[in-house]
Amino acid sequence: MKKTVKILAALAMTAGFAGAAQADKLDDIKAAGKLVVGIKQDYKPWGYLTVDGELAGLEIDLAKDVASRLGVEVELVPVVASNRMEFLQQGRIDLVIATMGDNPDRRKVVGMIEPNYYAGGTNVIAPKAVGLKSWEDLRGKDVCALQGSYYNRRVTQLYGPTLVAFAGIPEATSALTNGNCVAFLYDNTWIESQLATEAQWADFEMPLVTEDPQAWSIAVPLEELDAPYGKMMSEIVTDWHKTGFLIERNAENGIAASPFLQEQHDLLK
Amino acid sequence: MNPGRIKGHLPVLLPARKLMLSDIPLHDRLFNVWTAGALLIAFLVTAIGPSFAQAEAAPARSILTILFEWTPSIAKAFGFNVLISIMAMAIGTVLGVGLGVLQVSPRSMIRRLAWIVTQFFRNSPWLVLLFYCILLIPFKITLFGMSVPFPGWIKAVIGLSLPVMAYMSEYMRGAINSIPSGQWESAQSLGFTRFQTMRDIILPQTIKRVLPPWMNLYAVLTMATPLVSIVGVNEVMSLTRAALSAESRVDLLIPMYLYILCWFFLYCYPISTLTGRLERRYSVKL
Repeated sequence: MKKTVKILAALAMTAGFAGAAQADKLDDIKAAGKLVVGIKQDYKPWGYLTVDGELAGLEIDLAKDVASRLGVEVELVPVVASNRMEFLQQGRIDLVIATMGDNPDRRKVVGMIEPNYYAGGTNVIAPKAVGLKSWEDLRGKDVCALQGSYYNRRVTQLYGPTLVAFAGIPEATSALTNGNCVAFLYDNTWIESQLATEAQWADFEMPLVTEDPQAWSIAVPLEELDAPYGKMMSEIVTDWHKTGFLIERNAENGIAASPFLQEQHDLLK
Repeated sequence: MNPGRIKGHLPVLLPARKLMLSDIPLHDRLFNVWTAGALLIAFLVTAIGPSFAQAEAAPARSILTILFEWTPSIAKAFGFNVLISIMAMAIGTVLGVGLGVLQVSPRSMIRRLAWIVTQFFRNSPWLVLLFYCILLIPFKITLFGMSVPFPGWIKAVIGLSLPVMAYMSEYMRGAINSIPSGQWESAQSLGFTRFQTMRDIILPQTIKRVLPPWMNLYAVLTMATPLVSIVGVNEVMSLTRAALSAESRVDLLIPMYLYILCWFFLYCYPISTLTGRLERRYSVKL
């Protein structure tokens, strides 16, 4: 059995080298006839599962649009924050459109496509009764958060809350409503869309000033960034901004209008 | 002496034997299909009941409606768990039987090696083995110019089959050693080779000894399949999480997970009851 593992590991390496030596990715995708896109399935309304088991949301619309522009089928692979970059490096997926924030550390690992297609910042959702006024009010308090979120460390260092980190949004929001923490630290875009659409948040608010704006990027494998494939993606995102496609899909998916999208649209049109 | 039991006496219609409560073993009285059903219903009423009552007051859909709507997707995802468990069990069993036989090999080198492999996989956490399989095995293997895709769930099957193999190996070693040595000696006196003895005489006799623990192992394995959600395989746990965030209902979390628990319970409970029955039937009578 150990031998088998060794053989498999050896095969893994050869497969890896073979993958790196391949020619143009764009041609590969067209030859395969399908584009494999990593998307989120637990981030409503950007990417979520409908009752029929279909994937839907803003980012799914984007993935489908990329595929149709390339003239290929789309295959959607659900990813989470902890595996999306690995999947892209391994070649399991061709493209990541999964609420991924663009930052220098990640740029060393994957090819972040410019321009950015979306932007969000950090904020909290809290019961109105708590009456938070400023970020400083969080000091020493229990704050729910998600494991692996990039802003956890920054907020802890600056404002010193005790973070209670959960694996998923349902668990974290459940803890928030049960009173296990005074606020839930998350993306302002998600909080805004929840407050606007869900009646269960009637007694909650987003009391703080959104901080640390993060642009989201779609990503390709690092070596493809300057290749025709990466350039093509860059053109597509530019076109999305230029034609107002993103603004239209944003509204269609019931997300509050994004100042970032408007700004980019005005800039590029 | 009971005259009715003696052969040769005139047949007499004996009074029908009354089934006394004390005749049923205690564990059967406590753990049977009826008590299980009652337990399940009690569970559902206590957990879903209150939220159902709340939901009726609110204009939103009730929890039960939501669970009902998601049932087809959950059933599909649960089927995937079952598939993973069956495949892992099949692979693990085949490998485990082989490894178990090697564990009783007359050659000490082979015996020791098989023992080491068995102990290694038997004493490693399942999740760690899963992680290793997911990370070590590539997503596709190029063999002789042909690329064979290796999706995550196949890797998960391999990862789960390793501990199954190790447990199975131990069961086999125990079962083979429990066969009376007279069986070996008489086979030898009839001119059977070691291989023939193993294949035709010893292994068939181990089946009934291994069957109950094997089924237990299967039930445990099935209940361990949600582990694969952590390594990015889209099974019933991942689906539940996705469903929970799609509904974004805070009061749905507990009922939804409980519903999944019921699925596993209903699948695994009959297996464990059947195992219990087989165990009693095959228990060694002295």
